[in-house]
Amino acid sequence: MRAFAYTPADSPEAAVRLAAEPQARYIAGGTDLLNLMKDGVQQHDRLIDINNLPLREITVSEDRVRLGALARMSDVAGHPGVRRRLPLLSQALLAGASPQVRNMASIGGNLLQRTRCWYFRDSTMPCNKREPGSGCSALEGLNRWHAVLGGSDRCIAVHPSDLAVALTALDATVTTLSAQGPRSIPVREFYLSPGDTPDRETVLRPGELITGLDVPATDRSAESRYLKVRDRATFEFAVVSVAAVVAVRHGVVRQASLAFGGVAPRPWRSPEAEQALIGRPLHAATVAAAGRALVRGAIPREHNGFKIPLVQRALADVLDGFGGRR
Amino acid sequence: MSAGVVGKAIARVDGRAKVTGAARYAADAEVRGVAHGVLVMSTVARGRIVALDTRAAQAAPGVVDVYTHLTMPRLTVPAPTTGYFKRFVPMQDENIQHAGQPVAIVVARTLEEAQQAAVLVIVRYESQTPQVVLADGLGDAYVPAPGSDGTNDYVRGDTGAGLAAAGVIVDATYTTPLQHHNPLEPSVTVAAWSGDRLTVHESTQGISNTQNALMQALGVPRENVRVITPFVGGGFGAKGPVWPHTLLTAAVARLAGTPVKLVLTRAHTYTSHGHRAETHQTLRIGAARDGRLTAIEHVVTQPVSRSDELVFNSSEPTRMLYACPHVRSTQRAVRLDLPTASFVRSPEAATSHALESTLDELSHALQLDPVELRLRNWSAVNQETGAPHGSNFLRECYERGAAEFGWARRDPRPGSMRDRDGLIGWGMATAAHTAGGRPGAGAAVTISVEGTALIRSGTQDLGTGTYTVMQQIGAQVLGLPLHAVRFDLGDTNFPPAFASAASATVPGVGSGVVRAATTARGRVVALAVADPRSPLYGVEPARISTADGYLHVTGQPSRRVSYRSVLRRHGQPIEVTSDPAPAALGYSTGAVFVEVHVDPAIGRIRVRRVVGVFDPGRVLNRQTARSQAIGGAIWAIGFTLMEHTLIDPHLGRVVTPNLSGYLVPVNADVPDIEVGFIDRPDPSSPALGARGFGETPMTGVTAAIGNAVHHAIGKRIRDLPITQDKVIAALS
Amino acid sequence: MSEEETPTKVGSTRRTVLKAGATTTLAAGTPLPALLGEAPASAAAAATATSPVEVSLTVNGVARPCTVEPRVTLLDALRERLGLTGTKKGCDRGECGACTVLVDGRRIKSCLTLAVMQQGKEITTVEGLARGDRLHPVQAAFVREDGLQCGFCTPGQIMSAVALIGEGHTRSDDEIREWMSGNLCRCSCYPNIVAAVREAAKEMS
Repeated sequence: MRAFAYTPADSPEAAVRLAAEPQARYIAGGTDLLNLMKDGVQQHDRLIDINNLPLREITVSEDRVRLGALARMSDVAGHPGVRRRLPLLSQALLAGASPQVRNMASIGGNLLQRTRCWYFRDSTMPCNKREPGSGCSALEGLNRWHAVLGGSDRCIAVHPSDLAVALTALDATVTTLSAQGPRSIPVREFYLSPGDTPDRETVLRPGELITGLDVPATDRSAESRYLKVRDRATFEFAVVSVAAVVAVRHGVVRQASLAFGGVAPRPWRSPEAEQALIGRPLHAATVAAAGRALVRGAIPREHNGFKIPLVQRALADVLDGFGGRR
Repeated sequence: MSAGVVGKAIARVDGRAKVTGAARYAADAEVRGVAHGVLVMSTVARGRIVALDTRAAQAAPGVVDVYTHLTMPRLTVPAPTTGYFKRFVPMQDENIQHAGQPVAIVVARTLEEAQQAAVLVIVRYESQTPQVVLADGLGDAYVPAPGSDGTNDYVRGDTGAGLAAAGVIVDATYTTPLQHHNPLEPSVTVAAWSGDRLTVHESTQGISNTQNALMQALGVPRENVRVITPFVGGGFGAKGPVWPHTLLTAAVARLAGTPVKLVLTRAHTYTSHGHRAETHQTLRIGAARDGRLTAIEHVVTQPVSRSDELVFNSSEPTRMLYACPHVRSTQRAVRLDLPTASFVRSPEAATSHALESTLDELSHALQLDPVELRLRNWSAVNQETGAPHGSNFLRECYERGAAEFGWARRDPRPGSMRDRDGLIGWGMATAAHTAGGRPGAGAAVTISVEGTALIRSGTQDLGTGTYTVMQQIGAQVLGLPLHAVRFDLGDTNFPPAFASAASATVPGVGSGVVRAATTARGRVVALAVADPRSPLYGVEPARISTADGYLHVTGQPSRRVSYRSVLRRHGQPIEVTSDPAPAALGYSTGAVFVEVHVDPAIGRIRVRRVVGVFDPGRVLNRQTARSQAIGGAIWAIGFTLMEHTLIDPHLGRVVTPNLSGYLVPVNADVPDIEVGFIDRPDPSSPALGARGFGETPMTGVTAAIGNAVHHAIGKRIRDLPITQDKVIAALS
Repeated sequence: MSEEETPTKVGSTRRTVLKAGATTTLAAGTPLPALLGEAPASAAAAATATSPVEVSLTVNGVARPCTVEPRVTLLDALRERLGLTGTKKGCDRGECGACTVLVDGRRIKSCLTLAVMQQGKEITTVEGLARGDRLHPVQAAFVREDGLQCGFCTPGQIMSAVALIGEGHTRSDDEIREWMSGNLCRCSCYPNIVAAVREAAKEMS
């Protein structure tokens, strides 16, 4: 790890001012950032410690949950109000990382964690995300964990966050602060597709600080489920994951909000799959149609073609939990 | 001998040190002024270095120096008999034989400074396209010359005739992936020179090997090299051989004029200390209609490096285990641009997996219960040599294991057993591994004038319980209470011992302790019966028993004298040293039964239950033996369901050199595991009836899991690991 | 790099790199920027930022001042600066759990945080659990149930277990398994670890 300067910030505004320095970076939990720096994937001249900023609140109100960016994964996951109003959020958080890391990692940092693509994580291998123009080693390499949806011929790395998948299904909003002032960004617009610039992962401007999340909690009739499929029981990133918020009334799907992890470079939404469900009874044929809609246009690579049937099966399994299929 | 010391479930004697953080592993050694070394590894898999630039690294803060093949002293390649298996020492010339080969070492004052300076070393290579895919090289496979396990083309009888006589023939191809040991403690060398004397704190399974390899590599006398290893943070074979980083660290410590500590990064361990080679295995098994085997043909093809021919999957179970007149077992090698392979916990696990899985296929073809199939082919003798086993209670293992598991309730039809959430599968297999047969160990016993004993041997405790069981053996043979005996290890100043490997510690070190303690006891008895003041004066020594710190006339426990008073009168300690003596090769077996649950929706497999009943001869310590069996079963879960090292086919480099890419089981993957022992002494054992056992319990469980998956889903997945994508493909 | 050499051009796709033939070159341990023509990080520039700072860590109830660069992890500060080697480094990437310690009573992985970030916090390591000769109930249970073999993961397992019992995740064996899964044990003592946690929790309740 290259040497760097360390500066604690005492207010969000001060943090943003410090971040104007090129190669400065915020550190909250540090659970991903320090690994990236140890591996030489990222190098920073200054770390701005934002842990003293007053951004840790968890507020559950009538129609929404407000999370400070520095709230820890474990605090949010275990919060009684969150578990009651947004169990999906709690489930997705508890599906991620380990108890120790959940005690450390912040909600804001979780959204910004970077792909587990091994070609990205080894600073001596070609990778367009880490070093634009150096080539993508995964396209013709070992790509079992890589994207089948939404990738490009420059990058097929997947986003690793479980939380981001849940927040996408829940249609949450990210709040930020930058030199230009505060703003709100829907999670669904927060992440960028890789296209020709896989190094650009989010719409955040340089130095822009995530201050929190607003998660709507309006529809009390909807049920939610999070399913994470992986190669060991726990403490592993998703091979595929599904977050679903579904309201079924009189056997008919009234509302469906779906998001998928492990299949795309960003938390993946499928309006087509949702449309295949809404207004229809939750029968096997409906579920199958939603699955087909989900994977339309999917591009399998040498080792990851299994994700196409697997994500459909995972979706079916999740929908099964809402009743009506069997 | 006093009863009850051996065989009990005694808590490990080093437990307190380990739970308080007081146990000092190699990287914890306090060495004044120690500097930190970090390796720079090659990023190409085949080629040569054409330019090196170390200027930026050397100018970086805190750097003591940077060493490359241009500046390193010439080191002798230690002989394979030292356990140095690689046939070259890196950083001696510009050639690159595999990715992740050391090309430079940076030494700096602090770890952080060394790590950063290592990044600043610039190396330019001329590279060739590497070949790292076994499947691409099968056409080039050849049978290597006989190696340490003997011939690589073993033939018994005439398999053509045996197959012709078969009523049923099963053909199968199994593949197992490249795997890594991943002990939690990465390998460590802390090397400190004092003049021409070298002290090394090393995380090794074999301090004598390390001493010998260093002696040869550096050209210094053996007595000038001391290796100290009181604790090892797991080995599993990774630390059995001697590897380059040890030699290189010792060499640069001398050049740098300062002690150097080198701890391999987790990533560096993947190319620094061998691995379990990938295998491609074809099996053809013929049997009569009643299940008796008529022929086995087993061909194992595995990669070897460009510079050695080491083959560690020797198909021992195929050759030795079952009664079968016609057997051919062939090991083939394919040269690839990979690091030298080595042994990994239970080297026979890979071949056992294929054999025991194919036997399950045979049981289906015959419609014969898999336990019954194995009982019908049980052999009282080692089928390879024809020699009888010292003892063999494998049939009892099958019977007890089946009863404890409830095997009789199994519906043999695949897919027939279900619960609310999915499919249930029950599978079984035979566990079998050779144990010992290695050069053995010496031990020194000192009985103090206080009547307590200190026993020392230059062996190691990898967590297997060496400290504990050797103390038990010593106490048992001497007739002292456990607390009056101490066992010390991990120092080349002690009598030499073979590496802690090959399930050889109990027979090797155990017998060394038995020999030394028996002699020492005899000396004490001789003193007691020769002393006119002793109540035992004049008694025939053979009539003396020892127990609980006393010598007494057999059958007359009240006519006794304490060790303490005998030694006090003697006025000086008694010291006895035994020399290493080879212990015969043992064969420890067992029967294992597994229940899996398969979620057919997403292909998820969970092991729900494991029952293993084993015959390791006499059980020295039920608690540590049970822990070994549990560990083996969990290794099998990893082996069968998740572990594989991935190597990029184009770059020739490991892409999973960490514990998030290379998955090992976590707590939540593991169910309760029931372990039983037959616990009857092996009369041929020189270690109180105990055989080596550590490697047996991983075998069998791998195939039992695979067989259970087949029973659950009705499809056979012959390519490990059995991940859920394969289950889904099989179910689709 | 020597003057006459052109820095390696890594092609626009990996294929071109790999198929370029016998003269393909890659640097060892060097991030791609250096290969693409940027100078390796200047040692002089690094030196200015390195400036070690005085920190005071409160470990096992004792204030322990030390001087560390900002880049020093809590784990390396404990082991290499303060001589508290009970806490182990198994992976240095948060993937094994051997470095687990408590910070203000919560379990964390000490390899994933900087020492400078932990000033003013109460840090507890495995050395701080026993009271004199009396083992902490979790330590005693690990010995009794043989929840260890090589012992290298044990300090981390024990710190995790102490925290887990405080968190109340001991309602079933399955819950213990899930909440102990951030700590790998390669010797594979998991069932014994579960038993030790269960028994210690009973004793402590």
